[in-house]
Amino acid sequence: MRRQSALVAIAAVCALALGALPGAFAGSSADPGITSTSIVLGGTSPLTGPAAAYASVARGAKAYLDSVNARGGVAKRKFEYKIVDDAYNPAQSIQATRQLVEQDKVFAVFNSLGTEQNTAVREYLNQTKVPQLFVASGATTWGRDAAKYPWTIGFQPSYQAEGWVYGQYVSKTLKKAKIAVLLQNDDYGKDLLAGLKRGLGRSGSKVVAAESYEVTAPDVQSQVAKLKSSGANVFAIFATPKFAIQAFVYANRLAWRPRIINNSVSGASNIMLLASEGGKNKSLEGAISLNFLKEPTDPKWKNDPGMKTYRSVMGKYAKGSNVSDVYHVYGMAVAFETVSLFKRLGANPTRAGLLARARSITSPANPFLLPGIAVRTGKGDNFPIQQGQLQRWTKGKWVPFGGLWESNRL
Amino acid sequence: MTPGTLRLTGFVAFGLFAVLVFVLPGWISDFRAQQFAYVGIYLIALLGLNILTGYTGQISLGHGAFMAIGGYTTALLMAGNEQFGQEGLLGIGGGMKDVWTIPIAGIVAGLFGLAFGLPALRLSGLYLALATFAIAVAMPSVVKRFEEFSGGGSGVNLFGLPELTAGIVPVEIAGQELVFNDWLYYLCWSIALVSFAVAWLILRGRTGRAFRAVRDSETAAVSSGVSLARYKTLAFGISAAYAGVAGSLFAIATTFVNPDTFPIALSIFLLVGVVVGGLGGLSGLVVGAIFIQFLPLWAQGEGVASRLPDAVVDRTKEPGAPAIIYGIVLILLMFFLPNGVGGLFRRAGQTLTRWRYSRTS
Repeated sequence: MRRQSALVAIAAVCALALGALPGAFAGSSADPGITSTSIVLGGTSPLTGPAAAYASVARGAKAYLDSVNARGGVAKRKFEYKIVDDAYNPAQSIQATRQLVEQDKVFAVFNSLGTEQNTAVREYLNQTKVPQLFVASGATTWGRDAAKYPWTIGFQPSYQAEGWVYGQYVSKTLKKAKIAVLLQNDDYGKDLLAGLKRGLGRSGSKVVAAESYEVTAPDVQSQVAKLKSSGANVFAIFATPKFAIQAFVYANRLAWRPRIINNSVSGASNIMLLASEGGKNKSLEGAISLNFLKEPTDPKWKNDPGMKTYRSVMGKYAKGSNVSDVYHVYGMAVAFETVSLFKRLGANPTRAGLLARARSITSPANPFLLPGIAVRTGKGDNFPIQQGQLQRWTKGKWVPFGGLWESNRL
Repeated sequence: MTPGTLRLTGFVAFGLFAVLVFVLPGWISDFRAQQFAYVGIYLIALLGLNILTGYTGQISLGHGAFMAIGGYTTALLMAGNEQFGQEGLLGIGGGMKDVWTIPIAGIVAGLFGLAFGLPALRLSGLYLALATFAIAVAMPSVVKRFEEFSGGGSGVNLFGLPELTAGIVPVEIAGQELVFNDWLYYLCWSIALVSFAVAWLILRGRTGRAFRAVRDSETAAVSSGVSLARYKTLAFGISAAYAGVAGSLFAIATTFVNPDTFPIALSIFLLVGVVVGGLGGLSGLVVGAIFIQFLPLWAQGEGVASRLPDAVVDRTKEPGAPAIIYGIVLILLMFFLPNGVGGLFRRAGQTLTRWRYSRTS
């Protein structure tokens, strides 16, 4: 069986190489999930559970695909995007993903959310040769291990890169900062911490305390108290929304006033507003975060064509959803990129062809990303987005500052 | 009917059920077969839990943890833990074929059950429920704490291991080629049917009588010469062994274990399954197992929405709606089918409602 899996891997690599030649697979559109009128995509999303705030990622993507369908789809094919709830539990992600592949016969698994959730199904999807397209997680492994898992590709900047940016920023702006880190006890949290340490390098600043929490835990009160007692003057929150909100609230209650770094996965304005307890919590003021999306609450984008599209699509296809939730923008950005992939796939899209295209993106500007941010993959570069801009929470909203940060090696 | 014909009817019904189980995959899709395999797995866990709760009267809200012990035993015996950096005495090289790990998982979980049965002797009713609940709550943290031994939060992935009997490549048994899902179905259900028969054998004789005596009145049981310590720990041991086997099959079927594979909710679902199936009975548990596998899926799927008025349909698409539908169905079911569940159900039901309430609010 070992030999067989080696053969399968070789076959997969050959198939990929063939798919890269334009038209090599033309006429052999035998892959499931695609007909002359439809393209079936599917993904898992935490519609319920501790990370339910991220349901907007799938909702935003669905709204955008629906709007593309209303305009006739891509090459007369309409997108059907099945979203299955996994409650942020990897065991459920596996069952849901199998359902998508074996029962719903999707063409590709797309935009499934979560680091552990996607790691759990990666082996399965790669062996069954189903694309695991634009994983909604910034774990570094999606890009780093592309050779081992050719059917998997990420989307957003990697967590290590994000952590590195924070490290660089601290080492350049503060002298001998003492940093306390709250992190989720999984690869996502650990990637951010590793990146932060790398970004600090040999500067005088260092991480003096790191406390982790389990995603199933009710709260992070004791962790925040311990971190405060470390005497740190910078507090890095590497936590998902529910816990990030708690971290802000508890830090404030303990009258701890460090400079706060909040990771991008909890950086949405609506999350920050919840954490601000109606403006009473002043600990948010001056917090920084990395961002690569156009923030829907930023008045700067009032007449921006991309954000105009965003608002009209949300109004038509996601009625009643919170338009100021930046995760909807994320969903649209990833859906936009997927639609343009399919546009370039030609008349007979195949799974292998899709992956080959996803690994050679030279995208014109994505209207939902900050200006100047390119979506690019190519030889040896398997990270679609690698740029971001720092922003500072000022008087109830994010204000970007400085230029674009870029990290090619992470 | 005389006891003789009653027993005969039972045998015939069991035989017919076994035949039905055998031919079912011919009528359903490959994917459905996999879902039904999980029904078999839940049935095994429910049988064990009912021996403890329904027959011996000891509540357990922590059976998910015993399933976790079984699941991890199987995963570590197959994949080993040296890959996580564990060395020395607790280093496991892995490499055992999946089917052989199943009985070992049962034994290991059974030993844990016996060990837990000892302190549990001093507890009864709500206190026991809380103590068992505590194991379920603590389990994920313990697993993550010993990362080198267990693989931590990332878990152990079994997919693609040569130790798995069937993967993408179908398995051949007696000239028949079985795809992964059908193989799982037959594996889980043959073990489930054997477990059913074994449970029946345990409960029909002296041991079963002793269990029931402990449940009905501990004082009367002791005065009739039934050792409480012996039978309570035995019930815990047997019950945990069943959960261990179920957990082992769960790991094989999911081809993955991590602490969240066996969440607190699982322990509660198991108790729900036993209550729905009927405490102190075996055949009803099949319904209980179907209930815990399919109701959450049904509540989430299109099945519900298509039968409701338009005004409500939009609401069913909101996050959290499936949990509410699930709750409503459960309440209705318990309301109309209390199924002879007495004081025990009232106690469990209160705990359960409180839990559901805190989750949905």
